[in-house]
Amino acid sequence: MRLALAALSQQRSAWRHGYDLLKETGLSSGTLYPLLMRMTENGLVEAEWREPAQPGRPPRHVYRLTAKGFALALELAGQDAAASGREALA
Amino acid sequence: MTGMAAMLSRAIMALAVTSMRVSRPDWAEAMAAEYDAAAGDGHALPFAVGCLVAALRELPSRASGRFALSNHAVVLSIVVPMGALQLASVALGLSDLFPGGGGLSGALPSGGSSKWLTGFYQSIVPVLAVLQLALAIGHVRLAWAMLDRDWAAASRWAARTLAAATTLICFMGALFIDIRQVLVLGAIVAIEVCILMTVSDWHGDLCRARQGDPPD
Repeated sequence: MRLALAALSQQRSAWRHGYDLLKETGLSSGTLYPLLMRMTENGLVEAEWREPAQPGRPPRHVYRLTAKGFALALELAGQDAAASGREALA
Repeated sequence: MTGMAAMLSRAIMALAVTSMRVSRPDWAEAMAAEYDAAAGDGHALPFAVGCLVAALRELPSRASGRFALSNHAVVLSIVVPMGALQLASVALGLSDLFPGGGGLSGALPSGGSSKWLTGFYQSIVPVLAVLQLALAIGHVRLAWAMLDRDWAAASRWAARTLAAATTLICFMGALFIDIRQVLVLGAIVAIEVCILMTVSDWHGDLCRARQGDPPD
């Protein structure tokens, strides 16, 4: 989930397609989609349908972090930074 | 991507979307819409396989998915094999109707081996074959109706199958043919009818819950 949160928090207000998130996180579709479902159910991610760029194609789902999701992403990023700082000092 | 790989990935993707649609139709469409983007990058097959994994993981997590899995399990493990068994039995000379593997002659009453009686019993074999064929067809149609969730049709075919089994038992019993094997067959059909009633009630409860409450 950290990877998905990190990828979505890079561009906080931008809507991202599922396949773009797949490429950015390196996760498989079998991992990413269940994650997105859980995160949407828990209010961390919001999703909506967008009309396709090319006519004749189906609408695509896009995702972005909610305020709650962004706060969690910052918290986890802070924890990761603190952990790597302790490792550097050790 | 080669033609065969493209066909395989499309087939896997179709299966994934159909499976996901049972419990999460929106997410099924979301995955399907991204397939073209993955295919454009040459990653259609791993994308499709991942979506199938996601769909199969989601099925047991929701009541509608658990119902679909259970319905398919009942049909594929009981109804279809029973139909296949009846069909094979007809093809192999009604091997499944008579206990001990001795065929019709082994199932006749003592004294039934006289020339006249043997001829008589041989003449009823086509009737037994027709009844067993009716059982086979009944099972196939029952399986189809259950997978279609057409409970009215499933009930009709279950009743017809049970009637064919009962007719077979009564017919063979009236002719003093050993009916132990066919009694087991009749008991299995009766159990299938009970299972059908349970499955259709479960589906009814799911539909009522879906109408009354938000989906789980």
